[in-house]
Amino acid sequence: MDVGKAIVEATREVFSTMLMVELDAGTPIEGKGGDVDSNITSMLGLGKDIRGMLAVHCPAGVAKDITGTFLGMEVEEIDEDVKDAIGEIANMVAGNLKIAFAEVGKDIELAIPTSIVGSSFRTSGMFGAQRFAVPFTMDGAVFLIELKYMDTE
Amino acid sequence: MGKNVLLVDDSSTMRKIVGRSLRQAGLDFDNIFEAADGLEALDVLDKEQVDIVLSDINMPNMDGISFLREKQGRDAVKDIPVFMISTETGDDIIGEAKSLGALGAIKKPFTPDKVNEVLGPLM
Repeated sequence: MDVGKAIVEATREVFSTMLMVELDAGTPIEGKGGDVDSNITSMLGLGKDIRGMLAVHCPAGVAKDITGTFLGMEVEEIDEDVKDAIGEIANMVAGNLKIAFAEVGKDIELAIPTSIVGSSFRTSGMFGAQRFAVPFTMDGAVFLIELKYMDTE
Repeated sequence: MGKNVLLVDDSSTMRKIVGRSLRQAGLDFDNIFEAADGLEALDVLDKEQVDIVLSDINMPNMDGISFLREKQGRDAVKDIPVFMISTETGDDIIGEAKSLGALGAIKKPFTPDKVNEVLGPLM
């Protein structure tokens, strides 16, 4: 399975269907690298055959743009709406990845998303986990979708 | 008299988007009630006249499957039609939802056309 390609397709489908936005996807990165200066990160845990975490890392401007497009209104600050909207993006991308992994016989359970706001934090996954990250560009600004996982089978 | 719908999702963003999609799909509901989990949904069903429920599956406090199970045990509301609207699309979980009375499921992400296709026949 091409995990990087699956992340690209999963994310682009969410944005084209729910936000009517065609995202530009960068080259998927396997291993370290590609980090963006994030002001909000929404993540959700994955369990069962694939254990790990999917995270959406957004600079404030992108997070507000996504939320504004989602809700059809101007968004001026990182508030509860923004945390909720980015969390829902993480949820839907993870849902699409769950379908992609199911096609290769892997069953994934999804947790409920959590959002963190700030400028001085980092997320870390399990030791030995595989990492894939894909940068996406929306209106000239970059955000990152990151998948860290271990195959438990 | 028009119909009333109850939207059950822990994401306030998603409740707003589903509500907007109903309007864009041309589905004319008199009232759109909202609940953040199954427990709140049961409370709304006790107090309001609801004709259709759209419910997420993965939610805190009481998830969509537990909500269906509880609703099945309440004579006054057990026949209100429910559609699941979720990232969960597996045959096992959707099958379980249907065995508990759900009429069908809409996968997130979705379009207003998809909402219309599923709910239109009930209007």
